[in-house]
Amino acid sequence: MASGALPGRIGAVSRLDPQPHERIDRSKPVSFTFEGKAVDGFEGDTIGSALYASGRRVFSRSFKYHRPRGLQCCSGHCANCQMTVDGIPNVRVCTTPLRSGAAVKGQNYVGSLERDLMQATDKLGGPFTPPGFYYKTFIRPRKLWPLYEKILRNAAGLGKLDPAGARTERVDGEYRHADVLVLGGGQAGLDAAIEAAAGGESVVVIDEGPEVGGGLLADRAGVTTARALADKARAAGVELIAPAIAIGLFEQGFVPVAVGNLLLKFRAERVIVAAGIVEQPLVFPGNDLIGVMLPDGVRRLINYWSIKPGERAVVITADERGLKAAEDLEAAGVEIAKVIDLREAEPPNIEARGRRGRVTEIHVNGQSTKCDLVVMSGSPQPNYKLLAQAGARVAYDSARGIFVPTDLPENVEAVGAVTGDVGTPAVPSPVLGYKGDKCFVCFCEDQTTKDLKYAIREGFDSIELSKRYTTVTMGPCQGRLCHVNSIRVYAKATKLDENTIGTTTARPPYTPISMGLLAGNPQEPKKRTSLHHLHKDLGGRMMWTGQWRRPHSYGDDPGAEAQHVHKALGLIDVSTLGKILVKGPDAGAFLDRVYPNRFSDLKVGRTRYGVLTGDAGRIMDDGVVARIDDDTFYVSATSTGADGVYQWFTWWNAVWFMDVQFANLTGALAAINVAGPNARAAMERVSGDDFSAEGFAYLDAKHVTVAGVPMLALRIGFVGELGYELHFPSPLAEHVWDTIIAEGADLDPKPFGLEPQRILRLEKGHVIIGQDTDSESNLLEAAMPWLVKNDKEFDWVGKWATQQVDDRGLNWLLVGFESPTGAMPVEGGQVVVDGKSSGRVTSVRQSDELGKVIGLAILPTALAVDGGRFDVQVNGKPTPMTVRLGAFYDPAGEKVKS
Amino acid sequence: MKDIFLKKQILKRPDELKRHYDVVIIGGGSHGLATAYYLATHHGITNVAILEKSYIGSGAAGRNTTIIRANYRTPEGAAFYKQSVELYERLSGELDFNLMFSQHGHFTLAHSDRSLVVQQERAEVNKLLGIDSYVIDAKEVKKLCPQINISTDVTWPIQGALYHPPGGIIRHDAVVWGFAKQVTRAGIEIHQNVEVTGFDISNGRVHGVKTTKGDVSCGVVLSATAGWSSIVAKMAGVPLPIIGSILQAFVTEPVKPFLDKIIVSAQMHIYCSQTDRGEFLIGAEVEPYPTYSNKGTFPFVEYACRHVLELFPQLHATKILRHWTGLCDMSPDYSPIMGLTELDGFLVDCGWGTYGFKAAPIVGVTLAELIAKGKTPALIEPFKLDRFYTDTLVSEAAAAAVSH
Repeated sequence: MASGALPGRIGAVSRLDPQPHERIDRSKPVSFTFEGKAVDGFEGDTIGSALYASGRRVFSRSFKYHRPRGLQCCSGHCANCQMTVDGIPNVRVCTTPLRSGAAVKGQNYVGSLERDLMQATDKLGGPFTPPGFYYKTFIRPRKLWPLYEKILRNAAGLGKLDPAGARTERVDGEYRHADVLVLGGGQAGLDAAIEAAAGGESVVVIDEGPEVGGGLLADRAGVTTARALADKARAAGVELIAPAIAIGLFEQGFVPVAVGNLLLKFRAERVIVAAGIVEQPLVFPGNDLIGVMLPDGVRRLINYWSIKPGERAVVITADERGLKAAEDLEAAGVEIAKVIDLREAEPPNIEARGRRGRVTEIHVNGQSTKCDLVVMSGSPQPNYKLLAQAGARVAYDSARGIFVPTDLPENVEAVGAVTGDVGTPAVPSPVLGYKGDKCFVCFCEDQTTKDLKYAIREGFDSIELSKRYTTVTMGPCQGRLCHVNSIRVYAKATKLDENTIGTTTARPPYTPISMGLLAGNPQEPKKRTSLHHLHKDLGGRMMWTGQWRRPHSYGDDPGAEAQHVHKALGLIDVSTLGKILVKGPDAGAFLDRVYPNRFSDLKVGRTRYGVLTGDAGRIMDDGVVARIDDDTFYVSATSTGADGVYQWFTWWNAVWFMDVQFANLTGALAAINVAGPNARAAMERVSGDDFSAEGFAYLDAKHVTVAGVPMLALRIGFVGELGYELHFPSPLAEHVWDTIIAEGADLDPKPFGLEPQRILRLEKGHVIIGQDTDSESNLLEAAMPWLVKNDKEFDWVGKWATQQVDDRGLNWLLVGFESPTGAMPVEGGQVVVDGKSSGRVTSVRQSDELGKVIGLAILPTALAVDGGRFDVQVNGKPTPMTVRLGAFYDPAGEKVKS
Repeated sequence: MKDIFLKKQILKRPDELKRHYDVVIIGGGSHGLATAYYLATHHGITNVAILEKSYIGSGAAGRNTTIIRANYRTPEGAAFYKQSVELYERLSGELDFNLMFSQHGHFTLAHSDRSLVVQQERAEVNKLLGIDSYVIDAKEVKKLCPQINISTDVTWPIQGALYHPPGGIIRHDAVVWGFAKQVTRAGIEIHQNVEVTGFDISNGRVHGVKTTKGDVSCGVVLSATAGWSSIVAKMAGVPLPIIGSILQAFVTEPVKPFLDKIIVSAQMHIYCSQTDRGEFLIGAEVEPYPTYSNKGTFPFVEYACRHVLELFPQLHATKILRHWTGLCDMSPDYSPIMGLTELDGFLVDCGWGTYGFKAAPIVGVTLAELIAKGKTPALIEPFKLDRFYTDTLVSEAAAAAVSH
């Protein structure tokens, strides 16, 4: 018994004497639980190695037949050792470092892991569950399908999610750059890195192993070489990052890399892929039994964690790798009962048999050999996945039995074994046990050669169809261990060569990556105006309007808030409006092109309403445009449209090259609308400027100083009362607001929110783009023909399309309506004609001022006559409404002009 | 082992192309196959060839996120998709192939009051057509889908949702194979790995199709080629108002049943369901630029993960297994383009953008009727190509963009 073992626990029973490069620290035992029972390992163990050392072999159960699963590759490539760790399902324990107190559980069993009740599917299910059996069963009676489905769903899936799970781990991201990024830190990768560094390039090496060295590390002598090479690379200035996973190889040298909870987003001038090889299993009956392992998996157990993998081993190999494993096994005191070198003779008839899922003997041509460990080594395949994802072709080299990447994308190179330089010659196509039962091709999905041949007989005779029908390669190993073997089985069964069969498309990610890491930090920025906290202090009920947070209202009665604006004085924060400065000698001419109406003739100091359309004449956004001076316009846009309008302007000017510049000032400036009969008096209290009806007329724009702050004031009337919209730097917003309130206290100033504003604008019949219009609305059918000026010297964007609408005639019209019965339709309520949908209500509110239910609706033109009747579905019943053209409140505009 | 299920081959490769077919359907996806199926079963037309340049279901039919629903916004769209859902409900039995149609309900989340209005409008349209669809508040969302996070301490708090109980997911490949199986049995030929290279056109009429495996003459050609439809139509000299963009999706590793609802958020640009195999299937909005490249982009994955975890933080350690793209043929009004074109005998079925799969059976029924009778069925009258000349578009953007 090795030192460090704890008496009474099975912590270290199968540890060997200290190995030259072992990773465990025997002075530091680590305790954790497995299926609720205490287990010990050492620091430096992975969960998988600690469990194996403690004598545990069965870690989980397989997807379909619930066959026992345990360690196979010890490299994170296969998915046989997936377990639930601390409530997180599908963790590959062979590469997961052991943590003290970790709660480790098996997956996909009913009852106990050792005696899974569902393993009956393995004994009995075979004949009933060929590939795609679920497509042929449970069809009738249809009403029973939900029940069947429930059973199927419960049988599928691996680990269980914690329903109370939450994001607890902090993740971070970092943008990085390198001249050369080397993916794979084996001999070839490190050599290439050192060479590049010598040439003066900045070089980073990524490796998925616990340290760089790749294939060298499997070998005792190789470890020394690897560490010397790593030192040399570091000395040359190469940055080595391990363990780290290149998630994918995207265009223009973009490589996201996962390093624990850190996501590095690399851009590299050159990417060198040195990803080495993936060891391949052999296909024979019983090849998925516990104890049947890949050669480097066995060597890692011995050399990394000083574990004796078994007592008596059989080695079946198509290449040199199996023999190397045999050497290490012998050195570790494992008896080598038999070595079958597939290169020496015709592939024999091999079958592994076992008890309770563990291998107990190997039958070779009928002759039995007792064993508890089988090393299987098919010819290794270049690990070309990243290259194929990036767009390289993959061609089959029949002489060597490997798939080789060709036609590499730009600025991507490949070195070492991934290029097909896999070392010693192997048997090209080691498909064994082709005729036997339970020869597993795909361990993740429990698919056998028989299943694949069955699919072919059913007509799923191409690899892409087969993949989808049998689900081979679709499991968590992403085809690493089954892709090539499935192609071989197909080639053999269809008598076509592997190149004709082809490969399935390689997809990112390189290895399964947690969504939490990719998501980054949990929250996205939310937008708040500079008056946000003031609104909260005033009791504002904040609501989400897109990314913005805005006060809905400041109490329970938005109607009363609206009434207060009619009667006295209201302030609303409209800082969310888009604010774009358009400046340059061509500014006016530019706006003439993007807007249907004319702005070049707008007088300095005046404003004009504008609606933007796309080139298909569809309404995009609206706002007020003010002319500041000859060359400068101040354009406002809707709260959600600001970025889109700015983009739209710059996009068009990239075509027109006009002498005009744009600045998006949306966040930089705050805006407050001061409205109501007392608005003028309020402004006169806080400003020395002329706010008189003559000096500051309706639709004027003026530079004024309010509360000591120089600002732009627009006299506009969205809410239908005398009002001034003040635009000024955001940091001064609270000061300006507070000053107006304080100085005008006797004028009864009150804040009003978005909801009262909606009532007020509806009383005026003002539209809200996106609510009263949709993505197909045009100016004519939205009842804004007065905006269309087709006599401009340059065709405005959308002119042609709007003319087409004019030519065809209007099908719809946006109109106002009131509800004579007082019945309140919902917004979106359907206008019905003969029981059929024929138009809709776009806005509706109760107006206290008018004592009526009023709204806007899109009606067939025939119905859109003032005073006309139409029906809207209200609570499922057609309910009469009356058309009202023009504003409901102050139709002559006397209030706004007062 | 006795083959208790292996009674007949499901798919069969026909011999060489014949010299003449009454109907040639380009594209072996769900639409082409469905049309062939209804040509045979409703109209007895079986001298039909389906030409597929790759393998059946290799395009959008095998890349979509398998959501079936009828809760569209326009009366035209909703009436059309309603029939599609009803056909899908019967289809497993009809095709004798279990399509695993799992109808556990579809939620279109609203994160603002504006969005709630849009959902309300859809509900009103739907109700009038007898579609089971209504607006619920955040608490009801939580009641029906207890796994979801309705906290207000997130960027996009849930304000409510349009709930559509018959909405569901289906096994998309099974739809392709089920149709293919019955089409094959009806004697219709499915030619895979045959690419169309041109058309035989004279006097304003198409007379035949040129392919990589030889030329064939035919009475009618239907192009049901989704992402490639404008390329195929261009060969026939028919311009289409189509822009190709990619749409991306990914699946995670399988876990035990966690979510049986379909959750869609237009504002967060994601949709999420869990397949019968246990994988989460998550997709997003089309990429904002036109392309024929089928390469995925990484920012999409980051963005989709961030948003899914706002709704389901429990998935934080769930791992992405496979990420892919599909090519979408976007029409200007987010509604399909179906039927006759200016070239006699050349019919199109395109503009399906991100929502074609859910319409497969009704597309098949209506196009088969059009081919057999020569007259456009009323149900697809609004979707004529002609509408772009008469400007009578069907505005489906509000319910089609990211509302899978």
